[in-house]
Amino acid sequence: MTAAELIVDGLGMQFEGLTALADVTLRVPPGEIHGLIGPNGAGKTTFFNCLTGFYRPTSGAVYLSGQRIDGLPPHVITGLGIARTFQNIRLFANMTVLENVLVGQHQHIPVGGTDILSTRRPVYPTAVERLLILRGFPRAAVNGVIEIAGAIARPPRVRAAEAAAVSRARDLLAAVGLRGRENDLARNLPYGDQRRLEIARALATRPSLLLLDEPTAGMNPRKPPPWSASSAASATNSIPPSSSSNTRCASSWASAKTSPSSITAAKSPRAPVAIQRNPTVIEAYLGTRAIQGGGHAAP
Amino acid sequence: MLVFVALFVVLGLGLNVVVGFAGLLDLGYVAFFAAGAYTMGLLTSPGSPIDAGLNFWLILPMGILIASAVGLLLGLPVLPLRGDYLAIVTTGFGEIIRLFLINRDDLTRGSQGLSAIPRPDLFGYRIDSFTEWFYFVVAAAVIVGFCTSRLRDSRIGRAWEAIREDEDVAAAMGVNTTKYKLLAFASGAAIGGLGGVIYAAFIGFISPAAFSLQVSIDVLAIVIIGGMGSTPGVILGSLILIGVPRILQFRETSDFLANLGWLRDGLNGLIGAVDALTPGSIGRLPPAETWGAQLADDTRFIIFGALLVIVMVVRPSGLWPSSRRRLEFAHDDAPAPAPVTAP
Ligand SMILES: Nc1ncnc2c1ncn2[C@@H]1O[C@H](COP(=O)(O)OP(=O)(O)O)[C@@H](O)[C@H]1O
Ligand SMILES: [Mg+2]
Repeated sequence: MTAAELIVDGLGMQFEGLTALADVTLRVPPGEIHGLIGPNGAGKTTFFNCLTGFYRPTSGAVYLSGQRIDGLPPHVITGLGIARTFQNIRLFANMTVLENVLVGQHQHIPVGGTDILSTRRPVYPTAVERLLILRGFPRAAVNGVIEIAGAIARPPRVRAAEAAAVSRARDLLAAVGLRGRENDLARNLPYGDQRRLEIARALATRPSLLLLDEPTAGMNPRKPPPWSASSAASATNSIPPSSSSNTRCASSWASAKTSPSSITAAKSPRAPVAIQRNPTVIEAYLGTRAIQGGGHAAP
Repeated sequence: MLVFVALFVVLGLGLNVVVGFAGLLDLGYVAFFAAGAYTMGLLTSPGSPIDAGLNFWLILPMGILIASAVGLLLGLPVLPLRGDYLAIVTTGFGEIIRLFLINRDDLTRGSQGLSAIPRPDLFGYRIDSFTEWFYFVVAAAVIVGFCTSRLRDSRIGRAWEAIREDEDVAAAMGVNTTKYKLLAFASGAAIGGLGGVIYAAFIGFISPAAFSLQVSIDVLAIVIIGGMGSTPGVILGSLILIGVPRILQFRETSDFLANLGWLRDGLNGLIGAVDALTPGSIGRLPPAETWGAQLADDTRFIIFGALLVIVMVVRPSGLWPSSRRRLEFAHDDAPAPAPVTAP
């Protein structure tokens, strides 16, 4: 998949009285790398959760390549081309490294039948909506039976698809520097490798937009970031995360340039230092006096 | 007896799909077993109002289909539930099915049950003797075992495992969790239904009493004791949990115990001593000629329970864990990667 344009229009997310996101509007053109910056609790993760279907935004709209995606279930959004990692690593801990990446490829392993269970299903269906799911049921049932039969009989078609998936998974793992760890359990990897694996798994979904939630959190600032941007990018067509020598900045990066709720900062991704000097950013982190006082006073 | 061991292997393999692979704690498994058995019973028992005199081999796929439908029926409402809540609701579901079978007595003849269910007959060849039955059920278990292990090593199996590990992340990786959870319930139920059809044909008589919560618990215990997700574990679990209690029921066992008259006398003495010290009366052991049989019967559950406890303490991953689980537990001592949080 090629890169796609993301448009967020007046996005808001409210948790019973708490406004986590208010009127977020931004545009990420294809092929660009964007960062999202803000102090803890600013709403960066919440924003990602809204984009990926984990949360259903309470207002506003999200478009990917012109198609409205807010309110769609996560697996459909993933199929449309958004992949993500998690701030607190969430691997399939008791599956092997290879299997983790294979799960990422789930929608790209053809098994016969068409893979649909009402793609337009809202995330949290009401009772009525749940009944409507039943309309897509006969088709889904047929597909399910085809997939089960294929898995049991394992015809050459299924074998070939599986082999291709495994070889692609190995390529992705090699690209993030995890060659040779394929058969380890994910939870037995060291911390940095777990971050790498999460990125490989996200890339396996063949995203056109990759969201990295604090990919360098907990990493040693003096060591190189956990991925090799160039190799990962060449292994896929997706937007690679930028690696920056300035780790403080890199750690609050993700691939969206935005201004959620209280904090702000939309900055050119190629100028992380400029972001840190931006008055709005300083204000968000350190308060207004920091700017008035010439940029170095802490509250 | 061995027929039952093999039959419970079939059931265990089915539940293993739901609990072991997909991680959905289903305590209503007996419902699918009952669905299969009553499909057979209703369509073949002369006492049934809809007796169609159909052949076992025709009913087999029907029973599987009906049981999967029941599986979906259970699966749909419990989709949003996880863990303990799922276990509670599925327990209720199993009971509902049993009560339904009792109360719709115009159809099922209630607690009287359905009798004279004919044995399988294929072109004049009948499965009759215990030995034939044993081989037949073992063949069924082998086929089911093959199918479930193929399923485990496929895209479906990985999707199930991902759901077991972290349902939200599985969805974020593109897995339609609704679909795969339903597939897990339906495939598990299909196997339960298969077991039910076979059971009805083997026993020849079914009544709601045979489909109590205890069956669900037995099957779950087989899966857990054997090792979740492990096929050989299910076989071993069934041998022990179904085989051992029945060995204790044998004539030989009770005869053996009956010979231990001195033990009975000793125990009676002990009970008498305790009795003398307490206000009420706690009775005595039964007369010498029956105490062997009774003791075997009474201790069945004690031994059953003790085994469960011992296995879970000594081998928390089960007697014969799947290679995956073995890995999980073996590496438990490895230092967990320090979760460094963001500044
Ligand atoms: N599911 C939720 N329910 C209630 N409040 C939430 C939920 N998710 C996030 N929040 C709140 O939203 C705010 C933004 O959190 P978060 O997006 O995690 O910030 P960041 O990732 O920028 O550190 C916080 O105040 C947090 O407590
Ligand atoms: Mg966050």
